[in-house]
Amino acid sequence: MAAPPRPLDDGPAFPRPPRHGDRKWNRVTSSKPRGLVVLFKMAAPAASPSFLGLGPASRDPAAVRRRSRGSRNRKKSWKRWAGPEAQLGREIGDFLEDVALQQRATGGLIAEQPDEGLFFVDTGNAEKDRRLNKGKEKPLHVDLVLQPDSKVPAPKNILAHQIPNGRKEKRRREFWRRQEEKGVLPRAERRLRARLQRGGVPPPEKAPEKGRSDPERGFYDIWAADNPLERALAGQDGWFLQQTKKQRVKRPARLRTKPSQVPAVEVIAAGGSYNPTFEDHQALLLRAHEVEVRKKRAEDKVERQLSIPAGTQLPTAATVFQEQCEGLLEESGDEEDGEPPPAQPEDAPKPAPRREKKTEQQRRREKEARALACRQRREKAARCRRQEIFRLRSLRRQVKRWEAELLRRRQARLAKCRAKDALPRRLGRLKYEDPSLEVQLSDELAESLRTLKPEGSVLRDRFKSLQKRNLIEPRERAKFKRRYRLKYVEKRAFREVT
Amino acid sequence: AVTRRLCILKGIYPHEPKHKKKVNKGSTAARTFYLLKDIKFLLHEPIVNKFREYKVFVRKLRKAYGKSEWSTVDRLKDNKPSYKLDHIVKERYPTFVDALRDLDDALSMCFLFSTFPRSGKCHVQTIQLCRRLAVEFLNYVIASRSLRKVFLSIKGIYYQAEVLGQPVTWITPYAFAHDHPTDVDYRVMATFTEFYTTLLGFVNFRLYQSLNLLYPPKIDGQADVELKPAEGKEYAMDSESYLEKLSALSASLARAVAPTHEDEVEMDEFPVEGETAEQLDARKKEQEALEKHKKLFEGLRFFLNREVPREPLAFIIRCFGGQVSWDKSLCIGATYDVSDPSITHQIVDRPRVERQVVGRYYLQPQWVFDSVNAKLCLPVADYFPGVLLPPHLSPFVTEQEGDYVPPEKLKLLAMQRGENPDEESEEEEEEEEEEEEEDDNDKEEEEEDESEKEEEMKLKKLEEQKTQSSKALPVKVTAGKVRLEDKQRLEQEQQSEEKRLAIMMMKKREKYLYKKIMFGKKRKVREANKLAAKRKAHDTAVKEEKKKSKKARRA
Repeated sequence: MAAPPRPLDDGPAFPRPPRHGDRKWNRVTSSKPRGLVVLFKMAAPAASPSFLGLGPASRDPAAVRRRSRGSRNRKKSWKRWAGPEAQLGREIGDFLEDVALQQRATGGLIAEQPDEGLFFVDTGNAEKDRRLNKGKEKPLHVDLVLQPDSKVPAPKNILAHQIPNGRKEKRRREFWRRQEEKGVLPRAERRLRARLQRGGVPPPEKAPEKGRSDPERGFYDIWAADNPLERALAGQDGWFLQQTKKQRVKRPARLRTKPSQVPAVEVIAAGGSYNPTFEDHQALLLRAHEVEVRKKRAEDKVERQLSIPAGTQLPTAATVFQEQCEGLLEESGDEEDGEPPPAQPEDAPKPAPRREKKTEQQRRREKEARALACRQRREKAARCRRQEIFRLRSLRRQVKRWEAELLRRRQARLAKCRAKDALPRRLGRLKYEDPSLEVQLSDELAESLRTLKPEGSVLRDRFKSLQKRNLIEPRERAKFKRRYRLKYVEKRAFREVT
Repeated sequence: AVTRRLCILKGIYPHEPKHKKKVNKGSTAARTFYLLKDIKFLLHEPIVNKFREYKVFVRKLRKAYGKSEWSTVDRLKDNKPSYKLDHIVKERYPTFVDALRDLDDALSMCFLFSTFPRSGKCHVQTIQLCRRLAVEFLNYVIASRSLRKVFLSIKGIYYQAEVLGQPVTWITPYAFAHDHPTDVDYRVMATFTEFYTTLLGFVNFRLYQSLNLLYPPKIDGQADVELKPAEGKEYAMDSESYLEKLSALSASLARAVAPTHEDEVEMDEFPVEGETAEQLDARKKEQEALEKHKKLFEGLRFFLNREVPREPLAFIIRCFGGQVSWDKSLCIGATYDVSDPSITHQIVDRPRVERQVVGRYYLQPQWVFDSVNAKLCLPVADYFPGVLLPPHLSPFVTEQEGDYVPPEKLKLLAMQRGENPDEESEEEEEEEEEEEEEDDNDKEEEEEDESEKEEEMKLKKLEEQKTQSSKALPVKVTAGKVRLEDKQRLEQEQQSEEKRLAIMMMKKREKYLYKKIMFGKKRKVREANKLAAKRKAHDTAVKEEKKKSKKARRA
């Protein structure tokens, strides 16, 4: 009844049983079941003449000389690692590989394993089998997965247990011990002892200064005459402070004025009350409505300009084709254009009038006429000037009027400037835009404070107020711009699923 | 980014050039410009070096992290460079009054930041500091009783206080009203806040000093005993309970010098030259009114139900001398219980109250705000729970003559003068009838006025109507009969005559201007009348509806 022992199922615990080396394995185990040491024992008697030492000097010179590769006319003899030593090397390599594999897979050589480790008893009776092979059941997959791949333990990290500069430190310690015997102490130790002898209490450690945004930070009277801010420099020579750059630069007077006269907190109109009067609410609604209407009108305008004007026909295929063929086809309609337009000769520029050379007499007469005209003009001007003394009054009036006009212009300019000051200035790429009006429709109004739904945001209100008062320039949020296009790659694992 | 920060901290703002082409290399593209001199001034700032140090610190830290040298990281973090803005505050506001004038922004910002959630939008430390400073300021306002106006808007609550003679306005958001807008640059706002917290801290110190209060504020010893220390542990850890107690706003603060009870000493009066007795009188009256306003809620004991916003209400009530408490489980610092028989007012905000206690008024929270704005305790009947509330008027709107004044405001003004329109006509119907009559009078008189062509007279009459419509009776003067009243009448006539003559003597240009102004006034009056008519129509419609609904209910 006793069945022959059957090898254990190759579970994943023994994932790669020796395949190619089975034959050799048998040989080795049969001769001497002793790992590496055996190898050399085995090798030494086998090849006593051809045994090679590892050093270069150990080579037999005669053998080197004799080393002929044989004929070279066949490919086989070209092989680099041909010959008995190569053969041996290969064998050793294979053997070592095999041993390493066994160690990885089982934690030791299989030959050294006891029989119970390799085999189990198969009686043919399931219950009996289970009893006999207790503890040899195939482990669960989940446990196997969690086991390390190799049974050979990882090499220890030597560096982890080393102390950096250990030897140096040790030497130093020894040095100081020797010094101590002589009565010489390191500096820190000396100071500590000195302080102990003095008996003084160690100075209290100053607490680190609280930062500017620490919630526990302290304040003091900065506007008092004797404040900690200026105490250090108080009573020193001004010239000295200025030259040593200890005094701060004076703030220019132009920075005292605010850039805008708009109040910091603008109270919302009476209609913005949580429970407004009817009229106030209507007034606010009207304002909001006007804003909306303006916006709508601007939108409509764009829409209108972009739309196709009424009455025009969209191009059909036929008209498009006709347009494309325009001028390509000779048509009979050309006859009308055949006769040349008669208007052309009339439009042509007239030839410039011929210039005849002036005679001497003509020149003289012209000159005389010019002189005369000039003299007359001069005389007239002089006469006028003489007469102006009688125009004094009207002149004064004229001057007055002109001055009044100038004054008016100056005032107008000033008024314009002032009006411009009230408006937010153009400080950057963007223009200031009023925030949209906070408004609640009649049916959104809360009946009581409990049901009130706040409208708008105080944060935005503050931000816009800063912009309106020209303290910061209007900006828009920086948009994220991708430099290169994204490239989509599907991972292999993912592709299998889809 | 560093430059922008520096500019904000130093109070240097961008500038719009007069000639864009000259400064922009011939291009007219809109860019941001700063004055060169300003930037040069900026470079003298010692903080510039601190910023550089910080940059280096960040670089070193990043490197240490990359190499996972944790001891280096710790060492670097211990020596993190920091800077303070104290000297900038001093430089920008050389005197205390300068700082007070710029307090609006600082307060609004601090109150806003103190309501932020402790999420990554800004530093938690900043939020805590803002909260602390805001609470300190509120406590100062309570101690000095300097609150003047409150306005509940749909955006937030506006407050106005008078701090050392300077009106200070600020806005606080409602609690839990957060949507984080995306079009706001948080870094810029944080920079502003960084500066404003420093400013507000110093201002707070000075304000506390001016009232002889201790800074950092300490809760009064007596009150501290009342707030049992064991009780506090349920709400907060010991480290936090101080601020929590302070922010409860229920306890008064300890003074550096014990308060002397000689506040009753009359102020010496120094009549300013060129000031007539009337002005002096008016000033005195104003002062008295102010004193009365400050003691508005003196002697009243309030209890806040849990559904009303606790902080604003507690703040306001305490600002005007009232005592306030709330449910013990709502917040730390409750001083008495609901069942306390001495409570005079209980603030509730639900349609119906079960189990009412006799001896106290149950009111909606708007009563407190409206009373503060009206400077007197309003009649409570309009504010009972479940009653349709009268509108909440904005105290920041001041009507000029000729503007339309809503009837609610008129009623209020009358009450402030000491008249009591409600007593005269307790029922709504009568009131409305009165109003109607008033309106009728308006119309008739308007017609008369149009027939006349003296704008001046008309304006005066309208004024009279506005102020005391019932008193203005049409006075007729018949020739030959002399009465005792005539003196006034004559005087008036003479005045108007003089005025007419003055108008006649005007130059053409001035007359044109004058006419224009008068026309504008008239137009305003007309518009106001139109609005009043509209209101009347609305009111009648509402009344009709009410009646209908009543009938329907009855049926």
